[in-house]
Amino acid sequence: MSSPTFNSFRKNPLVVRLVVCLAGGVVLALMWGSQEGSTTDSAHAFTEAVLAPRIVGFLALGVLVWALISFWPRVRPYVVRPGAWPLVSGVVTVGAALFLMHWDDQVGNAKFSAVSSAVADTSGLAPLVTIYFGWLYWVGLLIVALLSAATIVTRRSLLGWIAAALSVVMGVLGLIAHSTLLDFTGGIDHSTGPFVALAGYVVIAAAAIAAGTSPEQVAQSRAFMAGLFGWRPGLPLVVVGALATIWALASATWFSPQNSNLTLSDTRTTFEGTGLSSLAVQYLAWLGWVSLAAAAVLTGAASYLRHRLLGWIGALVGAVGVVLTLITLYDISDLGAQNKFNSATGPWQNLGIGGWLACLGLFLIGSGGVIAAITPKSASGGATAEPIRSVLVPSRLRAAGDTLTQYRSLALAGAALVLFYPPMATLFWQKVLVIEVGVYVLLAIGLNVVVGWAGLLDLGFIAFFAIGSYTTAFLVGALPRKPPSWLHLSPLLAIPFAIIFCLIAGVLLGAPTLRLRGDYLAIVTLGFGEIIRIIAINNPGNFTNGPRGATNIPHPVIHLGPIHVTWGLDSLPYWYLLVVIIGIVLLLFYRLENSRLGRAWAAVREDEVAAQATGINATKVKLLAFAIGASTSGVAGVFFATQVGYINPDNFVLNNSILVLAYVVFGGMGSLPGAMAGAAVLTWLPEFLKDQVPSDDRVMWIGAIVLLMMILRPAGLIPAKRRKAELSGLQGTSSAETTAVPASEGL
Amino acid sequence: MSALPAASPAEVVFDVNHVTLRFGGVTSLNNVSLHMLRGEILAVIGPNGAGKTSLFNSLTGVYTPQEGSIMLAARPGDHPTSVIGQKTHKINHLGVARTFQNIRLFPALTALENVKIGVETRQKSGPISAMLGMPWQRREERDSTRAAYELLDQVGLAGRANELSASLAYGEQRRLEIARALGTNPGVILLDEPAAGTNPAEKRDLAELIKGINVELGISVLLIEHDMKLVMSIATRIVVLNFGEKIAEGTPAQIQRDPAVVAAYLGTSAEEASEQASHQPQVRLIDIDSHGSEEGDQL
Repeated sequence: MSSPTFNSFRKNPLVVRLVVCLAGGVVLALMWGSQEGSTTDSAHAFTEAVLAPRIVGFLALGVLVWALISFWPRVRPYVVRPGAWPLVSGVVTVGAALFLMHWDDQVGNAKFSAVSSAVADTSGLAPLVTIYFGWLYWVGLLIVALLSAATIVTRRSLLGWIAAALSVVMGVLGLIAHSTLLDFTGGIDHSTGPFVALAGYVVIAAAAIAAGTSPEQVAQSRAFMAGLFGWRPGLPLVVVGALATIWALASATWFSPQNSNLTLSDTRTTFEGTGLSSLAVQYLAWLGWVSLAAAAVLTGAASYLRHRLLGWIGALVGAVGVVLTLITLYDISDLGAQNKFNSATGPWQNLGIGGWLACLGLFLIGSGGVIAAITPKSASGGATAEPIRSVLVPSRLRAAGDTLTQYRSLALAGAALVLFYPPMATLFWQKVLVIEVGVYVLLAIGLNVVVGWAGLLDLGFIAFFAIGSYTTAFLVGALPRKPPSWLHLSPLLAIPFAIIFCLIAGVLLGAPTLRLRGDYLAIVTLGFGEIIRIIAINNPGNFTNGPRGATNIPHPVIHLGPIHVTWGLDSLPYWYLLVVIIGIVLLLFYRLENSRLGRAWAAVREDEVAAQATGINATKVKLLAFAIGASTSGVAGVFFATQVGYINPDNFVLNNSILVLAYVVFGGMGSLPGAMAGAAVLTWLPEFLKDQVPSDDRVMWIGAIVLLMMILRPAGLIPAKRRKAELSGLQGTSSAETTAVPASEGL
Repeated sequence: MSALPAASPAEVVFDVNHVTLRFGGVTSLNNVSLHMLRGEILAVIGPNGAGKTSLFNSLTGVYTPQEGSIMLAARPGDHPTSVIGQKTHKINHLGVARTFQNIRLFPALTALENVKIGVETRQKSGPISAMLGMPWQRREERDSTRAAYELLDQVGLAGRANELSASLAYGEQRRLEIARALGTNPGVILLDEPAAGTNPAEKRDLAELIKGINVELGISVLLIEHDMKLVMSIATRIVVLNFGEKIAEGTPAQIQRDPAVVAAYLGTSAEEASEQASHQPQVRLIDIDSHGSEEGDQL
């Protein structure tokens, strides 16, 4: 009879797991795609998603996951071999480039599939383009991936070298096919697909070489990376910077009126005899290359020899190079504007990415010089002086100085990106950077003080944002009630007032409620947030102008002696204003975190009774957290009001409070870089997904990604040092053995 | 009691008078009176549930007794002030530091940071000077780091300053808690079972440490401990609690002979114990001793 068999099946973990994995495949099939039901046929979406041939692919994915989990012990010896994880990440990168990224802005929705079908419909293209976009892209990837996988299994070095060569060839072919296609379609192009694919192929090549030549049975990835990046202080920055600058000077677009992608040398010939300033002419002719060479050679030598003075000189040369590049960019775009190229109205218009990329590269080279100059010789000397030995020394045996150098390098690289990436981005992304990413990063930094450091759950944080915004609106006279004439301020001068009002509001909210703990405090703060919004709607004393809010808030201006800066409708200038604000806040908060108050916050968060018994006034400390977090939110409010120009109560709904909290938790509670990264990623993600999934599905995908993240990395993207210890307890000290195994083993 | 030094008012650290603490219908402390003299090591002993930790919590403001008075003059020359109704951190500022029965360190902070938190509660600089990196704030920061290192050295943890406190061994965590308490510059320190869960060698070190704190730093010590050997070897005087009431007070020698104490520990009535005491003086000591170490082992 069948029932005992069924029972034994039901109890078999393999069978249960298979069922779960198949169900996961069905769920993924339902999520993937744009099926929609209709009023007459509500099951339409289901039939489209599940009862179609495509279900086979999703079920196969489920079976693959099932097989990986079930036969993990047999797979594991191969997966931990050198090259296995780089291969996986390289293939994933190439796949992302092929499926998610743009390949030609002039074609349809610009993604690879659209380009591919457009190429198929077009005759007269170069054979390489037809072949690459026709079938070579996937056949090539498949061959390269299989060859690399075979290398990992067989460990033959010849196979590894062949796979690596093929991989690089595939990446370069993609690049050539792309640029040939661009020449055909013309126009300005911002697509990054081929470059990301090339990067992925380079990783695959490195993986294949490592798999073929490494004698290790178990990959020492961390030690290898630490050895690679820690060999000479600052050298990675110099190399990356030099490559970026070479690319910028050799082939990137510098000036592009009427979609005429002019490279550096094209720009020089175009501006010949137009009265361009001599400095810019020299730069275009030779000065650019010379400053690149000088900076790279000086910093490279400083880094190799660990020479302090040379490092500083190299950094200075890099900085001079950045300034020269900026002057050149100004001169050519100013001249272009005078000649009304592409109806330009002022300098800094019609520029390509080349100049900014050169700035980025030179900045990185200079940063490498700084790192070489400030790293003490002893920090990574001794046992790690030789590259081979340094690869073999486990990373946890290294001096703490190496970690510091890495942090500094990352911070400088981040600064380079923050300064010079936005001008390269499209107008759409510049706008996203300012009104989504930037503002929410600032809010997340503020909420991190309350939630991350002091451990108080605040669900009404957006109320302080509202107070900051309305304070600005009042002080600039954009509300029905006007301020007294002596207090009529320009927007940026509202910042101190917003800070003071938010401090007061934070204390007023905190003083009566901070004796509450956990959930109760969260509910009270939630109520507070709603109260502020409803007050704004109810318009007491005709102060807030009700649901219409404030309009015509002027854009910020600075008139300080000879300095006159005005902001207008363009997003990019606001970005730099935000960078200054966030930079100041970060500096202050970084000091605060490592001060007496920062430790007191940690103490109260960890154990309030013990903190009080040690003499900490818990109430005062919590109030300070509330007030400091609130004032940060207030500054963000000022920026928001003056940038957007109009505010109303709908900007300050509960949803926004919860979003900011989600950013902080996602990024890593109590970690400044984590809160920033969380806000940046989760504000960028919806905009990115606009392109990838149907708009109705967007929130579902974000939810899925956040869920997955919280399962795989519960402490957040960049966990705080203190929080990490708290969550992982004594297991925090992991060995190389356990880190080589992915978290999925626990499934 | 006549053998004790006469307590002049200026020498009393804690003056506890008729304190009663109730939780609903349960009386945790019942009309307890005791005074602690400056410079002594006063041990509070008693079976589990006798109200020892409740007494500590009443002295440090965690609990507020319903009746009675507690006057405190922690540091020499202090005016006696009432601690009833005062906030815990206020009482700490008045010179009372404590450790906890179940260790309460800040687990995600390093050993050094734990001690620094104690030291820093006596500092002045606020958040604004910290954000601006003012010179006086930097000086205070250096001072607290140096003081914290010295304290870690005193309790023998100098080599583990930068380890997370959660990763320290049990005995080390106990000593770190003492260092953190000492960091607040107390006049009196309350140690709640400092020897629980430590091995005999650690207990000997601990006894030395407590004596050192008492003699060299001149800090009065109020000690809850189940380990009778330790108590008898270092305590100046002993107070015995049972069911929330004080049943005896005196020097270690007096307490060992006290029939009420024996009864409390053996679970017999006072009369029976008194009977036993008069006949078999030797047995009791061993009984108290073994009983005590048993309880110590339970933790």
